[in-house]
Amino acid sequence: MERIISITGIFLILACDPFVTEFPDSSNPVMFKAANASDTTYVYDGFEIKVVTWNIRFGIGRFPFFGDSCGDSVIADDESVEANMVAIAEAINAMDADIILLQEVDLESKRTGYLNQVQYLLDNTYLNYGSYASMWEADYIPSDGVGRINTGNAILSKYELTDAERIQLRLRTDQSDLIQYFYLRRNIIKAKIPVLSQSGKDFFAVNIHATAFATDDTKEQHINKYIEVLGNIDAGGGIFVTGGDLNSVPPGSVIDFCESDMCVNDNFHTDNADPYHKEGSYFENFSGEPDILVPLYDTYDPAIDTASYNLPDHFTHAPSTSMINDTTVTMYDRKLDYLFTNGTWDSGSGSTDQSVWELSDHMPVSAIFMPASD
Amino acid sequence: MKKIILLCLFNGLLLAETKSWDSHSAYLLPQKRWELGLFQPFRFGYSETIEYSTFPLWFFVMPNIAIKRIESDMAGFNTASRFKLVYPTPLLNMLAKTGIGGMIDPNFQMPPMLGLSASWLMSKPMIGLDLTVNGGLDLGIVLGDLDHRSNIDLPLVYHRLGMFYNKWGMHTGLDVQKNLTEKIQVLVDLDIRLLPGLADVQINPDLAKLMGDYSLEHKLLLIWNQSDRFRIMTGYKFVKGEYPYGSDIRFLPYIPMMEKWIPIIELQWAGKRIK
Repeated sequence: MERIISITGIFLILACDPFVTEFPDSSNPVMFKAANASDTTYVYDGFEIKVVTWNIRFGIGRFPFFGDSCGDSVIADDESVEANMVAIAEAINAMDADIILLQEVDLESKRTGYLNQVQYLLDNTYLNYGSYASMWEADYIPSDGVGRINTGNAILSKYELTDAERIQLRLRTDQSDLIQYFYLRRNIIKAKIPVLSQSGKDFFAVNIHATAFATDDTKEQHINKYIEVLGNIDAGGGIFVTGGDLNSVPPGSVIDFCESDMCVNDNFHTDNADPYHKEGSYFENFSGEPDILVPLYDTYDPAIDTASYNLPDHFTHAPSTSMINDTTVTMYDRKLDYLFTNGTWDSGSGSTDQSVWELSDHMPVSAIFMPASD
Repeated sequence: MKKIILLCLFNGLLLAETKSWDSHSAYLLPQKRWELGLFQPFRFGYSETIEYSTFPLWFFVMPNIAIKRIESDMAGFNTASRFKLVYPTPLLNMLAKTGIGGMIDPNFQMPPMLGLSASWLMSKPMIGLDLTVNGGLDLGIVLGDLDHRSNIDLPLVYHRLGMFYNKWGMHTGLDVQKNLTEKIQVLVDLDIRLLPGLADVQINPDLAKLMGDYSLEHKLLLIWNQSDRFRIMTGYKFVKGEYPYGSDIRFLPYIPMMEKWIPIIELQWAGKRIK
């Protein structure tokens, strides 16, 4: 009888899973392990640690997705998703990173053939352990044919991850309740990597994907929370490598990309334009937004330093459908992706790999962390 | 032999029982009686041997009709056959739209599709219960290219539309009804839908390994019959199935924004057509 009651209870709980998943301020991410992890366990040799951040755009390459470009496509075809994921796995293997911070990774989403991309990348790269924090998880998005969706941030590592935490970022306030219910819930994901502890100090990887399209102060809240999380690790004596898609341009950058991102029939920067600026293409929605990253640059060691961060060689993003002219794609025209540490990067190791521009609308940024000497 | 078959058929017709409010069973509605529910089809007892039903609100966007016919008794069971015809293309094309309400990628044009279902129903009172077993085949006739990415991966919907992606399917079920009092009944049912070989029709099995080849639906309803003209039902529906993303279970109806299950509330009315 007890067994029947227990089984019934489990069924009741599972059968009433929320339609759209909402998250508390702090929760446990989903942990993953490569199918062959036990065969390829790495032993940390105490030398340098390569770190990469990459928004892989859910493995659809330059597909003209309706949500983040001028395209009108929604569901990618299986062949394209597979070809892109194979290429992303090959690119990751070529990078030979110890830790990779990924944004926009899909798990069993309809738009990408229901593939579990975290597990796929773990099983097809030398990386062994993963931690995943969803930013958009719903049984069904009843709009534009999106359907089932689960996408978010992931930390993949050669070494075991522990003490992982998903930290909820504030929701946008410039949306109706209905839209907000079905919309993204962005987050920071943090994990400890015990084997990489430096001189007795805990070693953390921290990954963020800040808001792209908010026109209120949500981005400021996200960056402030990010600075707070990093500050807490630092104050606690921990070492971190961190990065992600901050959806913010460096200080001194162009802040208005409305003209270059404009789609056919769009209307911005005119008296009757509403909104006046294109969401996600304008970087002064609130006072101080152009300098929003200054505290990070002032406090921590950036992979791409202030002398270089506005150079075209370090641009990391352009919308997938941006065109210079009728035949030439804009591969990248701004920097949105960053790496920082409260330790030290190997001088000159920071780089932006623009050769893989066809695999996503973001370029990976990498750097080599120098271990602390005892 | 032909005479025996005809005799069986005739015998079946003579013994054919009619019952009100029993759409799931092998019993037909009494002649000229109609029944209509909020979520149930409009049913009409056309003759002593034939009953029609249709979802009238859906009819203009999803033409549909079902015919239930009395068959000769088998092994002491009242027996009926039921044939359903549905043309979901106009509705699905309405759902292939941009913006809110777009359940299907607007880039897909749904081709003409005709769904045919044939069921065999057998009912018998046993140990104080009204028992009905049913089983049958579903055929999905598609005149054109149907992209598998146009599926709607929701409980109840996915496996019903699955017959078009898989070309065919099977269904079987059991219904048990008991009178608790003169006016109160309880109905429990269990239905299984199978889409054999659905995984084989995928273009790329590596990407969507689980295309979802079965669903199990269970319903429990408490029914209060106010009269033979009106009744109220409440209860729940439970669905467990395999979907492209894996297995899933859910109690229905479920209100997304409240994140709550609420009980089914169904009202049904009936009457008799008078010439």
